[in-house]
Amino acid sequence: MVPLRYNARSLLVRKITTLATALGIALVVFVFAGALMFNAGVTHALATAGRADTAMILRKGSDAELTSAIGNDYLGLFRGPSQVSQAGGMIGEIIVVVTADHADGSGVSNVLVRGTPTNGIAFRPEIKITRGRAPTPGTNEAIVGQSIAGRFTGMTTGGSFNLRRNSPLTIVGEFSAGGSSYESEVWSDLDYVRNSLGRQAVVSSARVRLNSPADFDAYRLAIETDKRFSMKVMRESDYYEKQSQQTAGFFTGMGLALAIMTSIAAMIGAAITMNGAIAHRSREIGTLRALGFSRRAILTSFLIEALLLAVAGGVIGSIAVLSLTLISVPLINFVTFSEIVIRFHATPGVFIAALIFSGGMGLLGGLVPAIRASRVSPIEAMRG
Amino acid sequence: MNLATYARRNLFRRRGRTILTMAAVMICVLILCLLRTVVVAWNAGADAAATDRLATRHKVSITMQLPQRYIEELRQVPGVKAATWANWFGAKDPKERVPFFAGFAVDHNTWFDVQDEMLVPPDQLAAWKQTPNGAILGDVLAKTLAVKVGDRVVITSDIYPGDWQFQVSGIYTPLRKSVDRNTFVFRWDFLNNDPRAVYSKDHLGWMVSRVTDSARSADISRQIDAKFDIHEDQTLTMTERAFALSFLGGFAAILRAFDLVSLVILLIMTLILANTVAMAVRERTHEYGVLRAIGFPPGYIRGFILGESVLVAVVGGLIGVAFVYLVINKMVGPALEENMSGLFPYFRAPASVLIGALVAATGLGIVAAIVPAMRASRLKVTDALRRVD
Repeated sequence: MVPLRYNARSLLVRKITTLATALGIALVVFVFAGALMFNAGVTHALATAGRADTAMILRKGSDAELTSAIGNDYLGLFRGPSQVSQAGGMIGEIIVVVTADHADGSGVSNVLVRGTPTNGIAFRPEIKITRGRAPTPGTNEAIVGQSIAGRFTGMTTGGSFNLRRNSPLTIVGEFSAGGSSYESEVWSDLDYVRNSLGRQAVVSSARVRLNSPADFDAYRLAIETDKRFSMKVMRESDYYEKQSQQTAGFFTGMGLALAIMTSIAAMIGAAITMNGAIAHRSREIGTLRALGFSRRAILTSFLIEALLLAVAGGVIGSIAVLSLTLISVPLINFVTFSEIVIRFHATPGVFIAALIFSGGMGLLGGLVPAIRASRVSPIEAMRG
Repeated sequence: MNLATYARRNLFRRRGRTILTMAAVMICVLILCLLRTVVVAWNAGADAAATDRLATRHKVSITMQLPQRYIEELRQVPGVKAATWANWFGAKDPKERVPFFAGFAVDHNTWFDVQDEMLVPPDQLAAWKQTPNGAILGDVLAKTLAVKVGDRVVITSDIYPGDWQFQVSGIYTPLRKSVDRNTFVFRWDFLNNDPRAVYSKDHLGWMVSRVTDSARSADISRQIDAKFDIHEDQTLTMTERAFALSFLGGFAAILRAFDLVSLVILLIMTLILANTVAMAVRERTHEYGVLRAIGFPPGYIRGFILGESVLVAVVGGLIGVAFVYLVINKMVGPALEENMSGLFPYFRAPASVLIGALVAATGLGIVAAIVPAMRASRLKVTDALRRVD
């Protein structure tokens, strides 16, 4: 095999060309990895909201909490099956999406308000009060998720906003929820919220903690076949997974499509560079062949050179894309129509994918030139 | 042999490289035009929307409804010519042939008077008013669901349980390009009389009004909201377009991302052109020395390098623009206009985008060549001749 140092040095000799090509690939990788990091951000926010050992109950026919309504009387029945964890228990909550003004005056958006019972916060151990205090049950006090605290008029500790005329919610604190989409919600008392909405006797959804994730199928069967009501049971983690797909799928798909289209241009760039390198070095290639390196060794060597070039670009792009983790973008959750704040999320998988993607660009762009190099006739090449 | 011949032969001295560079420019131009067309088409949707129509919704939440008596009060507001209402039905096709379509329960007496760009044949409209479970569909939706006038159609809902049976009373066609051709409307009284709709009994989802003078619509909006301000359920009035967009808020974020990607495309195009120029100049430095030695002034060298780069960029750009015209204006555009007319009533790459892309390619052809051209023209003859690269 031709030593790797030969390729590395060849790339370094032609600084401008190498840099231009690598930067082109870096830009494509930036778009590609950016789309993946966005997707990872949405998945992280929504997936960490759901647990595998929690069953979520909606009215049959509803796909989301927002459109579901369950009569209060049924709640007790959901605790019946033996799979329900006695310690974990059950909560029924009401969801409403309220119109809120952006604090910076950039217009209105929707915010999800969750009316939760007294044990609602304890039901989710990841909830931590980061500022102020927890709301007093039975009052109009509320806490706001730290992702949206301050983003909307009145939605900050000490602020207040109307749930309906003369039904204000007073924010007494802020909370974190392990980076999940709960951090883009406002939580208050179940009864206060539903009284304000005039929906005293209903909840939007119920969540039931099971003894173990494996109990889900049995529990689901028990509830869905119960003749007294008509309900739909989903694993809480699946519910949020579906939401994240619906929300992020469109944007991620568009980002990846753009990255793939631009990658064609970058691949052509790599091909131009490798073609030039080979035309320029035909005498060297002839010499290598004369020294006894096989056609295959030459092919491999130039493919490796293209790979090195592209992966260098991939590394530059991956480093540059890390800057995106500093920004967070508001996104409309397509299922709840409410605004959630997404942070670009860097995972090892994103960078592995980015490096493979850049390597692929290098190999595809370098393939034809490398084949040409391997076909160089030693005699003709050395004759000049 | 004159200079033009020299330039022409130079262009195809490395035929593969020239063609590849043109191809890269072509692809960049293609993507750039596509991105800009989406932005232009999005804004065109805003322009095409009716400006004399206002939507009035519950102030607190899009999911809250308004008491039925509000419609009469709205009609009394000065400047309101006509008003109607609709309720969101959360319609779904049980056979899942359409991923998403809008389903409204509407007032059969006034809906099509206010939404007059949805054209329903008079006999079908009259039949609908006689048919409690009658429905009127957009022409594209009717085609997808494979129904015609007189057929039965079953729709399910995200909000109201069970199957809902309708009879197709009519099919509307769009009078304006901004009309969504995938909407399903049926009679509000049919929904209101159904026991499954007890939670929304005698309530309206939102109201749509037509104003006498569209220039005063902001003023009339304020008057409407002021009228309901004293009630328990306050309202928020905005233009119909703003109302529709409040459900698609994420789309504005995409357009910002498109600006960023457009910039990335321009940078990639510059890098590829610059690389090609740099390679050519390096190979020909010796020749430039010869040209200079036999008496050509430095300006000629600059001209050669700049001219070649611009030529490659322009040819690549022209092919790209021709491609855009074929792909977007002849294939993708018409398909999008039919299926996503609500979002993109007019999806064609306008001349401004095509010319803009061509100008960008030309400009970047100059930018990419300017540094190598200056450096090559300033090179001392002796240094250039010594270069054997």
